[in-house]
Amino acid sequence: METVIQIHQLSKSFKGVETVSKVNMNVKKGEIYGFLGPNGAGKTTIMKMILNLVKPTSGEIKILNQPISTTSYQYLSKIGSIIEYPEFYERLTAKENLELHCEYIGVYEKGAVEEALDIVGLKDVENKKIHEFSLGMKQRLGIARAIITKPEILILDEPINGLDSIGIKDIRELLIILKEEHGITILISSHIVSEVESIADTIGILHHGELLKEVRMEDIRKENMEYLEIKIDDVKKTINVLENKLGIQKYEIVNQHCIRIFEHNISQSQINKELILNNIAVNGIEKQQQHLEEYFLNLINGGNQFA
Amino acid sequence: MLKLIRLEWKKNRMASYFKGLIICIVGIFAAVALMAVGSGDEKMFLDYTDFMSLTNILIRIVFIIFASVILSRLVIEEYKNKTVQLLFTYPLKRKKIIFAKLSLVFGFCFFSIIIATFMMNIAVYFLNPMMNLFEAPVEIQEMVATIPSTFINAFMMAGVSLIPLYFGMRKKSTASTITSAVLIGFLINATISNGDTSTSLSQFIIVPTIMCLLGLVIGYLSYYKIDKVDLT
Repeated sequence: METVIQIHQLSKSFKGVETVSKVNMNVKKGEIYGFLGPNGAGKTTIMKMILNLVKPTSGEIKILNQPISTTSYQYLSKIGSIIEYPEFYERLTAKENLELHCEYIGVYEKGAVEEALDIVGLKDVENKKIHEFSLGMKQRLGIARAIITKPEILILDEPINGLDSIGIKDIRELLIILKEEHGITILISSHIVSEVESIADTIGILHHGELLKEVRMEDIRKENMEYLEIKIDDVKKTINVLENKLGIQKYEIVNQHCIRIFEHNISQSQINKELILNNIAVNGIEKQQQHLEEYFLNLINGGNQFA
Repeated sequence: MLKLIRLEWKKNRMASYFKGLIICIVGIFAAVALMAVGSGDEKMFLDYTDFMSLTNILIRIVFIIFASVILSRLVIEEYKNKTVQLLFTYPLKRKKIIFAKLSLVFGFCFFSIIIATFMMNIAVYFLNPMMNLFEAPVEIQEMVATIPSTFINAFMMAGVSLIPLYFGMRKKSTASTITSAVLIGFLINATISNGDTSTSLSQFIIVPTIMCLLGLVIGYLSYYKIDKVDLT
């Protein structure tokens, strides 16, 4: 698959403090790339560097195979974006803001403004001035503005901030439609894991300016997400059996009565049988899904230990 | 380029400033005319040149301040409200965007001084016979003779009107932009008089020339390295 955004060894320092360090990232055409990381991890800085608002200290960014220099600007016509808090011209109405946006980009299709407003459900307030808008409405309008010119790439920095639950659901569905029907590549960031989990194809986990992991959601689901949780009385004895009799290495002790097994080549019944044969009372055995949230927290906490 | 200026015009509803322009012109004329009429028998102004020297001082001060209001609206507020971030994600050269804004401020100051001076002359020509603003009758040639100096003057002041950009951009503050414009306006137009002769900084041609160049340099400096600047 074609790579739309390629980032190679990208670093950025502000006054000697490194906020982004040696990040490598690849966003493929037509996918939703979820950018996860706690506040201050450097998500916004990377997004701003992609938009050339912030200039990298070192490293390279390629958009649609074109390397970006400090003076590049033409490629920006292919990107729709919301960075941080959506800013508008407060004295103008929603409609005027969008029209102005179209003129600046140089695309003007008749009806595009109405259509975009309709998609985000702001049709009936199009003539209201922005300073009367709530945060959620501004966020919606920001999304309308980002998609109005039908860009090839969408860069959305925390687009779900300040939205109500219906709004979140709407936006999620909208992003999937944009991806599937229009083939738009979407880079979306968030510090809330569950937001990204349900829609992303690939996630990049960022912590202290470093990309800890870039992984396809499919692989996470396959690899680590499924595990067997067994409830037993005697942890020591159980481990002994698991390691020596069954050869299981990937497990985790949750507490004195619970163990999680991450290996998939040994079936549930086999484990059950072996434990009973060795006189271990099994109180429960169950297949479980690990959520991305836990995976994410594990990675970040792991990262902390090394820091 | 023209398109960018037009978009700025539209975005900031610049047409509404014309109302302000008219009010300023009427206000200045009213103030000077009242002084002239109110001074009674002992006339305040002897002739046309005398009358216009005060009028011109007021026009300069008013429009330097007026231009700074527009400057803060077009440039400073754009930075303050972070909409400049949006502006720089458009497929346009950053330099062009800022240049369009500054030319609009420069142009506004230049043309409004010319328009104001022109209107003032018309008013004087038609109203002097009725209102008796000054004794010596005004000749049309006298007015025509002031045209070149009006243009030079307007150009100088338009340059000067960019100086507040320096003060305003330091903290992205509208207040300091306008305050510095007020100070600069009064500084170069203030008149010192000992009764017989009077003088002001703007009379030495070198002072406004330097200030004008300073303004243009500040304008240039504000955007020559804008491509390298981080917007955080």
